[in-house]
Amino acid sequence: MLDSSPVGNFHPADAPGYASILQCMRCGFCLAVCPTYILTNRERSSPRGRAALARAVAEGKMEFTPAVGEEAFFCLDCKACSTACPSGVRVGTIMEFCRSQEQRFHPPSLPAGILRDFILKRMLPSPALMETSMLPLRLYQRLGLQWAVRRLGINRFLPGALAKMEGILPNLGRPLRPEIPETIPAGGARRGRVAFFLGCAMNLVFPEVSRQTARILSHQGFEVVTPKEAKCCGAPHLAEGDRESARRLALINLDLFSRMDADYIVTDCAGCGCALKEYEELLEGRADREALRLFRAKIRDVSEFLAEVGVRSEDLRPVPMSVTYHEPCHLVHGQGLSGPPRQVISSIPGIELREMKESNWCCGMAGSFALKELETSRRLLERKLGHVRETGADALVTANPGCHLQLAWGIREMGMKQPVLHIVELMGRALPE
Amino acid sequence: MLSKTIIDHLIKKVGARNVYHEKEDLLVYSYDATPEIQALPDVAVFPENMEGLQAALSVSREEGLPVTPRGAATGISGGSIPAKGGMVIGLTRMNRILEIDEENLTATAEAGVITIDLFNAVAAKGLFYPPDPGSQNVSTLGGNVAENAGGLRGLKYGVTRNYVMGLNGLLYDGTEFRTGGKCVKDVAGYSLRDLLVGSEGTLGIITEVTVRLISPPQDKRTLLAYFRDIRTAGEAVSRIIAARIIPATLEIMDRTTINCVEDYAGIGLPRQMAALLLIEVDGHPAAVAEEAEGVRKVLEEVRADEIHEAKDAQEAERFASARRTALSAVARVSPTTILEDATVPRSRLAETFAEIERLKEKYQVRVATYGHAGDGNLHPTAVADERNRQEIENVHAFFSELYEKVLSMGGTVSGEHGIGMAKKGYLLRQLGEGGMGVMHRIKKSFDPDGRLNPGKIFGDGPPPSTVRIQGEKHA
Repeated sequence: MLDSSPVGNFHPADAPGYASILQCMRCGFCLAVCPTYILTNRERSSPRGRAALARAVAEGKMEFTPAVGEEAFFCLDCKACSTACPSGVRVGTIMEFCRSQEQRFHPPSLPAGILRDFILKRMLPSPALMETSMLPLRLYQRLGLQWAVRRLGINRFLPGALAKMEGILPNLGRPLRPEIPETIPAGGARRGRVAFFLGCAMNLVFPEVSRQTARILSHQGFEVVTPKEAKCCGAPHLAEGDRESARRLALINLDLFSRMDADYIVTDCAGCGCALKEYEELLEGRADREALRLFRAKIRDVSEFLAEVGVRSEDLRPVPMSVTYHEPCHLVHGQGLSGPPRQVISSIPGIELREMKESNWCCGMAGSFALKELETSRRLLERKLGHVRETGADALVTANPGCHLQLAWGIREMGMKQPVLHIVELMGRALPE
Repeated sequence: MLSKTIIDHLIKKVGARNVYHEKEDLLVYSYDATPEIQALPDVAVFPENMEGLQAALSVSREEGLPVTPRGAATGISGGSIPAKGGMVIGLTRMNRILEIDEENLTATAEAGVITIDLFNAVAAKGLFYPPDPGSQNVSTLGGNVAENAGGLRGLKYGVTRNYVMGLNGLLYDGTEFRTGGKCVKDVAGYSLRDLLVGSEGTLGIITEVTVRLISPPQDKRTLLAYFRDIRTAGEAVSRIIAARIIPATLEIMDRTTINCVEDYAGIGLPRQMAALLLIEVDGHPAAVAEEAEGVRKVLEEVRADEIHEAKDAQEAERFASARRTALSAVARVSPTTILEDATVPRSRLAETFAEIERLKEKYQVRVATYGHAGDGNLHPTAVADERNRQEIENVHAFFSELYEKVLSMGGTVSGEHGIGMAKKGYLLRQLGEGGMGVMHRIKKSFDPDGRLNPGKIFGDGPPPSTVRIQGEKHA
């Protein structure tokens, strides 16, 4: 899928592969699952339409127009179309390439560009700088607020976005990275050694969630090693179209984790897991193929990992409550993980899992989308929370920091009562003290 | 390009959010699911109601624009491609289910309703709308009617036509028509309804459809059989039918398809087998038990190499998954997927498979064949790369000769996909001058100036293969 003869009107650096675009046979099966198409009923805002636009640019039939760039960013990159596609087209990925093209063809205004570069090239690659920077900036990276800022110069940064930015921030605790022990011993009979990939958003925004992850892994019989030098996974850079920085970070992480003697590399962030699993593709031809293969073979989302090794549940305490599960796009569509999270939830004694409608639909967060497309994001969120309400469940469970923020914000806004919990938080309640 | 005055006029009549005229929008209304064919419209309009539709048609008439009706554009014969430019009229925003009439067992819906939404809405009331084209999750009811779409249940339950009771819509000149209705019997005049079903948007624009509903089957049994020789599979199909058993599903996959599915999904299909038959019988539990037994007996008589019967719903699901995965598995093999629908009397199935194998060899093409064996409707699917012109030409030559053979066996060049632009060249061979002449006259009486979906069904000119982006005025 990586050969790419006609680059046509694309910029030669980081153009989407022509074969990957040609693979679309236009059957339209994606139209049934694409949130932006269903909300707009406009073909150009569908995966099939976006692939057709990319194809026209690649074949030199159309310039890379501002509208193509707009569609690249209007795409949620929720990857629901990849799940639905019979012929294996990944329009989300094609759009990531188009985002990088957009940066070349229609670069951001000067002040916004400087700020974007600072965030993507300086702050994100440096955990220390991130942890000491100001609060809004801490969040900035994982929420993908850069998009909004990028548009500062041209009036897209609306008061509504500012208000939402303000409202969506939880009270931040202390970052987890400086506090978490480098090595946590295995509890009970030892089953192996895992490297914990602590994502930026988890570290800064949900340190208590990741603390539970480490605690559970240890309780389940695994020695947990958390390398302090780990870098951002590169997902925000890919989403923002900065593939060069993403590759730089990926190379550092690949090297770091390859040198660790771990059986698995586990993350509790669906977005990170998805990006880590794509290193093979991102670094093709730039890193040792065998090293990439070994790295890829070890990556697990925490629920994928627990389902695979089997939850040791002898001493779990019952957690008597009903929950419903929102599937993060980067877990269900990005990594094809739909069963394992449910398996883990159901393995907790006392839990009743109530399925909601459209559980695998995007919640409207989608990185920067939640702030740049306020209206569409709100419609997706309301649709989602309507389904949550129908289940009457006591709590809403998910597995990704972006979804977590958006859902918790929506629940507050709509005056609902359900707490939003990461799967590991739920499971943490079942662990003995 | 249309003048700004015309666009502004359309916007005033139909609303700005329902009129698209920028090149990026026009580009994405230039195609449907048919490979290799594209043509740009000058404008795309999505009316929300009859007034909007009338207004759009009236602008078309004033400007002499061709009009191409469009549903979800999932067709694979080019029916919704604006071959001569002009106006695309999308019906997807007229999408209300108007009524489910439990006393008359009918449902009435606007043309833009998605097939599966109608299915689910009637299922919620314990009723059943059987037509299930492969694109049912996205296709529209209006599109299904215009193309007379089929599906997996065609053998026992029939195709879209068998469920259409009434149609409303507009002709190009603005005349509103209503034909058929809720009456089970209705012989008042010519059946315009039956003429419009499968007319591919060349006679009128369908806006509202009344369909017949039935009770869903209460029980189902699923069998799976493998054959080392595809002729034995063909014989099994003929004998099942001859035993007066009409399964709800009687699907076949050839060796190439089996191997594609195995490469893709790795579900443990025996690669050495030449064919697989998936058989589902449904209905009243007593009848189902008897029919399943009958099917098993036939399979044993013809000495199928392996016979499996699903013990529970889960296993039935697993059996069906191979067939359901077929398109995905085949489509992944290469960039260009050319899905055809050669259809023969079902007694000639084995012969058709033999011919497909011979022609694959002759033209050196990669073709996986699967389909609805029970109704003789096969989907030979060529996998190719449109950048390789020689390969594409070979594929076309392959299909041309295959259709010769299909016609000589009393078959048809299209079982369920329609003629559109892709098969115009074959139609004359099947219908002859006489048949084509009558169809011409019918077309003229509905649309004298030939403005409604021109370039479809009639004539055998080459399809437009290149897209014009900077819209120059059309001839």
